[in-house]
Amino acid sequence: MVLDVTAKDSNGNELFKAEKKYFEIGVDTDRDMRYGAWQIKEIIDLTLPPMQTQKEQFLLNFDSDTEEVTIDVKLWYYINGKSGHVVHSVSETLEYEID
Amino acid sequence: MKRKSWLIALCFASLTVMFAPQSCFAEKLANTIDELVKMYDDTKCWECHTDQHDEWKTSFHSNPINSSLGGIRNFIMIGLAKEWNTPLTKAQILKCLDCHAPVVNFASEKLAVQIAEMIVTANDKKGTPEAEAVTKELAKLNVGCTACHNIKATATAQGLRGKAVHGKIYSASGYGNDEHDTVEAVELKRSIFCMQCHGIYSAPDGEKIQCNTLSGSYQDAYNNLGGTETCQDCHMKDNKHNFPGGHDKEIVAEGLGLNVQITQYRHLPGQVETAKNQKAWVPSAVVTAFVENKAGHRIPDG
Repeated sequence: MVLDVTAKDSNGNELFKAEKKYFEIGVDTDRDMRYGAWQIKEIIDLTLPPMQTQKEQFLLNFDSDTEEVTIDVKLWYYINGKSGHVVHSVSETLEYEID
Repeated sequence: MKRKSWLIALCFASLTVMFAPQSCFAEKLANTIDELVKMYDDTKCWECHTDQHDEWKTSFHSNPINSSLGGIRNFIMIGLAKEWNTPLTKAQILKCLDCHAPVVNFASEKLAVQIAEMIVTANDKKGTPEAEAVTKELAKLNVGCTACHNIKATATAQGLRGKAVHGKIYSASGYGNDEHDTVEAVELKRSIFCMQCHGIYSAPDGEKIQCNTLSGSYQDAYNNLGGTETCQDCHMKDNKHNFPGGHDKEIVAEGLGLNVQITQYRHLPGQVETAKNQKAWVPSAVVTAFVENKAGHRIPDG
């Protein structure tokens, strides 16, 4: 699962991109990362725990002549490494006064 | 003489019970897939339980071998053959198929190994007529009606229930009719029932197989924080048998919350090195996202 934050100017140019990944790392008894169900004996848990809300914050500084940006925040869920879909998204356009 | 025959018969009966598979009274071990499927014939159930069948048909329970071919194939060809240097046996392949196709517990040693070899063929020769043929055969093996309502039904409470009796139908309500002999087994609507397979699997030899770790997260995190809903409350709403999970967008969206606050401001001049004009205010924003897990287990898992 990935929380993805992007900001683009009015021409569609990407001004900012950041993401936070939630996942678990399966390791064998040597603590080497593994994918096989028979190999994995422990996990390192970087997932979102049940009954909890996690706060993620991002600071975005644009260039001094930026008049308008559209910020998109998307929560992606991947059933495997290749196949994902957006679960929730929020989009907002901001306008700035330029000196 | 009469006494001797009686003793031999007793001895034979004891051995049969000792080596019987999980569910009692499956008369013999099957030598073909068709024979195996016939032993636990679900088609009779479908005649009356059409809604449940139609729902189940859309679920991963209806085709659990073909939907996991790669993983099972790798266990056989990499795990057993290379890493463990262990022969492919029924006991080994049951480390996957006890959950992916519980009926294989009643396959002969030869058939179980044959099924494992078919899995390798289906995966490694994908796209060929040979693979297509074995894939069709493997699709007959699933987690169907009798897998849950008989074979696995009493496994989590065997002390109380005893072993599942072949031919009987175990249900949470216990409501029966003339069509089948029904036994009440309330554990079918408890999380522990699903946790047999949807968690760390312990094989009879002690090997731990981690396809997913949902049960651990459910017990140690969700229950620990006061959560009391069961797997079935979310994944079998209104007794539906389509078992939605990570593959289904609707239940994923239900289990996750996203609250975003975007705060616009201008940063002080001269403090952002990348700004072209160091004397100008810098257009800025702070994005705060609250990501909520409303499910009864970690997200993602598996």
